[in-house]
Amino acid sequence: MEYKIIPSVCSYCGTGCGVLFKVMNGRLVGTLPNKTHPVNEGGLCIKGWNLHEYVNSFLRLTSPLVKVKGRFHKATWDEAIQVAADHFTSIVEKYGPDSVGVLVSAKMTNEENFLAQKFARAVIGTNNVDHCARL
Amino acid sequence: MREQIRSWLESGEMDAFLGFKEVEGHPIPHLFSKANLAELEGLIVNAPRYPLETLVAEMLQSQPGMKLGVLGDETTRRALNVLSIWNQVSPESVRVIDPDQFAPEEKGARKVFRVSEPGPVKLERGIDNRLGVDAIQALDGDDRVRRWMYEFQKCIKCYGCRNICPVCFCKECSLEHQDLISTGTVLTEVPIFHLVRAVHMAGRCIDCGMCEQACPADIPLRLLYRKVNSIVMELFDYENGLSSDQPPLSVLGEKVVLELKPIH
Repeated sequence: MEYKIIPSVCSYCGTGCGVLFKVMNGRLVGTLPNKTHPVNEGGLCIKGWNLHEYVNSFLRLTSPLVKVKGRFHKATWDEAIQVAADHFTSIVEKYGPDSVGVLVSAKMTNEENFLAQKFARAVIGTNNVDHCARL
Repeated sequence: MREQIRSWLESGEMDAFLGFKEVEGHPIPHLFSKANLAELEGLIVNAPRYPLETLVAEMLQSQPGMKLGVLGDETTRRALNVLSIWNQVSPESVRVIDPDQFAPEEKGARKVFRVSEPGPVKLERGIDNRLGVDAIQALDGDDRVRRWMYEFQKCIKCYGCRNICPVCFCKECSLEHQDLISTGTVLTEVPIFHLVRAVHMAGRCIDCGMCEQACPADIPLRLLYRKVNSIVMELFDYENGLSSDQPPLSVLGEKVVLELKPIH
């Protein structure tokens, strides 16, 4: 019998509530709020309480999918990124950079958000950057 | 106490001991076993209350017959008693180690962040969580209903009260039953949601207070369940967690055996 409680941070929103994962025999079986965490002080919302469900969900995407002729096909990251890059290039060439917008997430780190706006401004050439907290 | 637990683990009288260990500055429930006896030095006894009883039930469900020790107190004993009445744990598999009996000086106050200091709006419209059943009962009827409704409508339907409850173990929860409460909608059915839960706490709640601690909306749940159980005590002379019989509210036949909750 192996039963571990592992402290972590909720991955759903930017609040950053402290959670504890219940791991029994190597499998994630439940979530508890961290009672001594200064952010949530022992409370969680319904999404936080069910964090363990998406980790074990059979619906979870474990590899990128590329849509070919209306159907999704499994692809490698290199292939998927190449497809996205090709499409962005053709859209920017045809309609101009302001036809593209970049929506980032409160769930990402500051550094990732910085990279995303850098990508929008320097690579695509648009100021259309917004984030989920304003949607 | 640590020496005693160490000798139990070494002799095999106890397969594992559920206590607390400091991880990243937080007291976190931790399973001590014979394989890592040295960790016992880091055993913490004055951590805030966690539903260790639920962890015990899950472990015993996965590996029946294992002998477990659990750090706890009188409330832990009552919770385990309720669980064994409902056939969720076998009482001979669990031994509760109360630090009070071994090292009372070590226990001290249980450290929790949230202290319920009601603000002016809550005092005017709601219910002070620190009040007793009698103080609420003394309020005028209409005022009392209005205050409870104010508290209930704050609910964000996180199901935290149900999830953290050490004596909530039903496979099919009434709070997710489509005929009673719709799941997936955000606004809570007031007051059905809370009253359904209150009715189910009758004859079961052991007054550990974790539901109220876990409630992000600061609803005085403990007070509500205390009231419900004072009625059970009055009518049936049944005290939750101390009696070895199932509560008098079992309506589904003579002896109800609820199905074990599946582990995800």
